[in-house]
Amino acid sequence: MKLRSLLLRGRSTGLTPAMTARRSALPAPQPIDSTPIDQARLVVLDLETSGLDLQRDEILSIGAVAIIGNTLQMADQFECTLLRPAHRASQATLLHEIAPSEVHAGCPAEEALLGLLEFAGRCVFVAFHAGFDQRMLSRGLRQDLDYRLQHRFLDVAELAPMLFPEAARKCSTLDDWQQHFRLVNSERHNAAADAQISAEILLILLHRAATQGTATLAELNNRLVLWRRLNLVRSSGF
Amino acid sequence: MSRDDSLDQMGRTAVKQNIHGIMTFLLGYPPFDQMETHHLAWLVEHCQLRFYAAGDAIIRPSDGPVQHFYIVKQGQVRGERRIAGQDTPDTTFEISIGECFPLAALIGDRATRTEHIAGQDTFCLLLPRVDFSELVGISPVFRDFALRGVSSLLQQVNLQVQRQAAETLGAHYSLDTLLAQIAIRKPVSCSPVTPIGTAVRMMHEASVGSIVITDAQAAPEGIFTLRDLRRIVAHGETDLQRPIVEVMTPSPCYLPSTASAFDAAISMTREHIAHLCVVDRGRLVGVVSERDLFALQRVDLVHLARAISQAESIASLVALRRDIRHLVDSMLAYGASAGQVTHIITLLNDHSVCRVIELCLRQHGDPGVPFTWLCFGSEARREQTLMTDQDNGMLFEAENADQAAAYRQQLLPLAQQINQALAECGFTLCKGNIMASNPELCLSRAEWQARFTRCIQSATPENLLASSIFFDFRVIWGEPAGAQALFGSVLDMVARNSTFQHLMARNALAHRPPIGLFRDFVTSRSGREKDTLDLKIQGLTPFVDAARVLALAQGISETSTIRRLQLLKQQEAIAALDADAYTEAYEFIQLIRMQQHQRQERERQPLSNRLVPDTLNHLDRRILRESFRQAQRLQSSLALRYQL
Repeated sequence: MKLRSLLLRGRSTGLTPAMTARRSALPAPQPIDSTPIDQARLVVLDLETSGLDLQRDEILSIGAVAIIGNTLQMADQFECTLLRPAHRASQATLLHEIAPSEVHAGCPAEEALLGLLEFAGRCVFVAFHAGFDQRMLSRGLRQDLDYRLQHRFLDVAELAPMLFPEAARKCSTLDDWQQHFRLVNSERHNAAADAQISAEILLILLHRAATQGTATLAELNNRLVLWRRLNLVRSSGF
Repeated sequence: MSRDDSLDQMGRTAVKQNIHGIMTFLLGYPPFDQMETHHLAWLVEHCQLRFYAAGDAIIRPSDGPVQHFYIVKQGQVRGERRIAGQDTPDTTFEISIGECFPLAALIGDRATRTEHIAGQDTFCLLLPRVDFSELVGISPVFRDFALRGVSSLLQQVNLQVQRQAAETLGAHYSLDTLLAQIAIRKPVSCSPVTPIGTAVRMMHEASVGSIVITDAQAAPEGIFTLRDLRRIVAHGETDLQRPIVEVMTPSPCYLPSTASAFDAAISMTREHIAHLCVVDRGRLVGVVSERDLFALQRVDLVHLARAISQAESIASLVALRRDIRHLVDSMLAYGASAGQVTHIITLLNDHSVCRVIELCLRQHGDPGVPFTWLCFGSEARREQTLMTDQDNGMLFEAENADQAAAYRQQLLPLAQQINQALAECGFTLCKGNIMASNPELCLSRAEWQARFTRCIQSATPENLLASSIFFDFRVIWGEPAGAQALFGSVLDMVARNSTFQHLMARNALAHRPPIGLFRDFVTSRSGREKDTLDLKIQGLTPFVDAARVLALAQGISETSTIRRLQLLKQQEAIAALDADAYTEAYEFIQLIRMQQHQRQERERQPLSNRLVPDTLNHLDRRILRESFRQAQRLQSSLALRYQL
């Protein structure tokens, strides 16, 4: 693994000195600590990829929406389609509808990822099925930007059933939750629109958490850890 | 970067998906659907999105000056106002998807007076106050909406109605257009001594239908039209060398150039003329003809009025009355307001009633007793629509009770015949038998006086009900002096009797506007009328009844609801803003009702005042709800005034 990253570093991404400078200027991520939730910058992320293979597939587009103080600023958003010279249409193309031509006209990966990190700033990332986005992003950043992703991720797919156990039984996908909260998605499987929907769900979740007295990032995370354990116990049949 | 630059740039760069998504959502609702795209994009880019769970307070009076302009993206918000001494707050309004708040507080830079609470789980778009001000500065549409609120939407509805009607007809200008813009600027005119032949040649050369005869100062002395030419030729007048002054129609009707096309239409209809002089400061400045007013119209107003007044039989009258529907269609197309349309319908109805009376007299013979034909209710208020029933009576002079009884017996058969003939013409027989053929409504002046006095002095429920019909009255046919003296003394009696006013005010609260606490409209729950509301009884009657009480209390003899409201405003019995809001609301409900009648008539369905609110478009529904809310406000102010 170390060797692999050394090799990659050797191959060196097409970073200009200016980009390298921008990369070093990036702030440290927001830790999961006693910061009140409504004071932390939460960046809701959605990635559209060429497929589901964490090793081989690539990020095609990025949508991100920031929430601070339980408020979503419409202007505080990031969306970008990445330039992938080798990209061919695949099965996933049918889903996200990003035409190969669009990908060929996109923004260079280094620029896109740097842009995302600058937009994200000192934040906690939030996503639906966050594990996937975290791994895809992590690999992309390593390959294209030689950057180690240290940001913490919160998963809407976990927060939602934890905070709305009454709906947990019938909701599992993003579509389910979207329907449950009667939200309108302007364009499903568009990274920006999916990030927006996840962010709207997050606004509802944060409201519920606050009414239940969960005030800080650490408290929220502790509840998640407990909930996971409890789930594990339940599913193992105890 | 200047503001223009930033807008310019926005136009050039692609709009982001989520901004676009919200814009698409807003485009479904006024006033956003009318805004320039880049202004709308600017609005959305400056918005925040927030979530409120059901029951959350969004803004409160205690929060201080309002900091944001709110648009409901999802859910519903209700306004609650606490009234001293009342435990539960009053829901004063509901705001649903696509609607905004709190405009008045934002414009006034003050705190809200109403607590805004999320009625359901709700998402709102929030525009910060500074950005709201800036948007007011850059977008005329938004400014209009922000400053005039729902009224600006009302104007939009009127335009919409006009457009819809115009699609079938091709409208050219509105009835509010000033005569200065329509009238021929260089009217054909000549001096009184001009020979008839020369005058006719002048008309022919200019291809016009009339020539105005003026004195040296250009003041009109008379008018000569093609109709006059037909008349003199028919009478064998062939000496074309005689001066025109001998055959012209002297003292022609005229209006100033600041009068509207509608005023001209009314004058022509009333006088049965097709040409009208336009005179400013005593000088002829133009002539407007019926054809100028209704250039491409299939039905012309003046012709219709004249044809009705000269109809030779009840049957031809019945046929002519069908044209009134076409006329209403065209009037809506020419931008007439509900008030103008009902006024014209009433005018034509008056002509019809007069003609029916004349035809019946011809057939029946003179009863030997002079009588005056009275009308009550909507006809008296000049607020008739296509759906109208008879509310009429007869008044005659008699020296004593015996003579009155004898005269009544002579008049009743004629009254009976008139009522039947009117029914044939489409004036439905009154279910409550408020008709001249009812012996109780065919009375001498003294008997009428006694009847009214009884009504005012002993206020039984029936008397009160009767008062809501009889206290709107007007003479349609016959000698008016006796009836007018009667009305004058009745008005005096009411103005002096505060107990009666009080009871009338209570009666005016009997019909509540059909809006409820949580749902948009209150509609019937079951039966044939399920999901409908009554535009007339629930929507218009609250205005009509309240305006009547207030007007009678102020000694106002005018009978039309809108005129009453305007006079009450002039006498400062109602605040100017309120009077205008009530007028607009009343006219809007009437407009919706007329549109429904027009549609039913076209589809050959029976006319009905029952409306299914769900069939209205979003904008109409919203304004109708606002109009009913105005009716509620009028009733509350009446309740306060009379301590009910």
